[in-house]
Amino acid sequence: MNKTMGILMIVLALVIAIVPITTDCLAHGRMLTTAEGMQVPMKCHWTAIAEIGMAIPLALVGVFNFTSKRKETFRTLNLIGLGLGALVIAFPTVLIGVCANKMMPCNMIELPTLIMSGILVMGASLITLVTSNKMVEPVAA
Amino acid sequence: MSLLQLALKSISGNAFRNGVVSLCAVLISAFALFSTLVMRGAEDSLRLAIDRLGADIVVVPQGSEAKIESALLMGIPARFWMLQSNLSRIAAIPGVDVASPQLYLATLTGADCCSVSDMFMIAYDPASDFTIQPWLKQNLGEGLRMGEVVGGTYISATEGEQNIKVYGYLVTLKSNLEPTGTGLDQSMFLTFDTAYDIASKSATQAQSQLIIPPDSISAALVKVSPGTDPHEVAVRILQSVPGVTPIESSNLFQSYRRQMTGLLRSILVILSVTWGLSVVLIGLVFSMAANERRKELGVLRALGATRRFVFQSLLAEASILALFGGATGVALAGLAIFLFRNLIMVSLEIPFLLPSPVSLLLQLGAGLFLALFSVNLAALFPAFKISRQDPAIAMRE
Repeated sequence: MNKTMGILMIVLALVIAIVPITTDCLAHGRMLTTAEGMQVPMKCHWTAIAEIGMAIPLALVGVFNFTSKRKETFRTLNLIGLGLGALVIAFPTVLIGVCANKMMPCNMIELPTLIMSGILVMGASLITLVTSNKMVEPVAA
Repeated sequence: MSLLQLALKSISGNAFRNGVVSLCAVLISAFALFSTLVMRGAEDSLRLAIDRLGADIVVVPQGSEAKIESALLMGIPARFWMLQSNLSRIAAIPGVDVASPQLYLATLTGADCCSVSDMFMIAYDPASDFTIQPWLKQNLGEGLRMGEVVGGTYISATEGEQNIKVYGYLVTLKSNLEPTGTGLDQSMFLTFDTAYDIASKSATQAQSQLIIPPDSISAALVKVSPGTDPHEVAVRILQSVPGVTPIESSNLFQSYRRQMTGLLRSILVILSVTWGLSVVLIGLVFSMAANERRKELGVLRALGATRRFVFQSLLAEASILALFGGATGVALAGLAIFLFRNLIMVSLEIPFLLPSPVSLLLQLGAGLFLALFSVNLAALFPAFKISRQDPAIAMRE
């Protein structure tokens, strides 16, 4: 079960890193024009960049979930996983946000993908946390 | 050891079977719930759009039938015109209670003078309108003044402001309509006076002028007198006013209804194939698992367990796995529908409205029941076969 959840986390980390940056408004050629006439990326782009930063530690949590055998390691890893999952959701909803228009590509793809991925990451971490608690530690030779 | 304890014990020892059966249950319940929610959401949305329109007949210029459906359902801006004199001819037809004109306009694409690109705008005549005004009076207590607009649920002003720039003209967003899941959610409603004011000032304020042809309207919304058959009135309009098409509200959105029927057929075929394959796969997996456990079940029988107990314990295992998989499936499908509803609307080109909490709960329950029924149906034959075998033979093999 822990190995399966490890693989799931690696896949989710890839989704979190790739989907936002390829579906934000900048990727669809939409930018914000300032009063000075400068074109700058919108909020959804900065959320996508921040999510790349979240995906890296999440992928590492997945890799270590796949390779670890000790109960304490699982406990620590998946507590971090829970926090990372919550942050994946918090960036597009609370901390940075996405564009206001509900029909913009970022609102239709980037935001729901990140919320769904965050929930799945938290779910996977929770399952690993619970199942690893019942684990019998291998006895050292 | 109780039936449930035995079932739970058996489940904990067979990861492959658990995985396959749960996955099939996830697929069945998620797909069933997803398709039901999408189709019912689209149907509810169509019904609400017709109710919101409030007209018995919509009269449009000949050849504009598809355009008005796309505009009202998907918010795709439409521009078509007919003579304003048609309105008085329609109003004079026996059986017509009220006839109200509307102008269909749109903002510019990618222009700085418009806050939102390609936004569908509906201008109405406050003197005769019977669709927007009642809502405004009910929710705002008054109509719209010059420069004021009402937006669909997705229309919003710039953060911290109340204004939206349209052709360089700042309009004030007074309120938002409740969601319908259709193009009306992305449309803006304004009075004729505001529309003409925007058009006159757009020559100097906008990148491109808003042109409203003189003495023209886009459509006429007709309410028939009580007790009159709308079909008869529609026929009279067709005979008396040349160059127009009356669309009865019951016939409105026919092309979308046909599209939805086609979609429903495809979904039903895919659902049936998925369901059939899943039941066969679960049956095979249960047969394999039951064969592997022949000795174990033989010992159970030898220790005094009845055939009925063995049969029930196997079905209890199936039910636990089905409940787990089904619950995961409906949760994932419900979450996906809720989060990706706008993407579904745009990519499938259908309107969509989330169901009420009671209806959603009923559909979640139905999805879960389908998973439970399918897994139990598949496990029935292997469970029956293994519970009937002789314990002595089973232990010897």
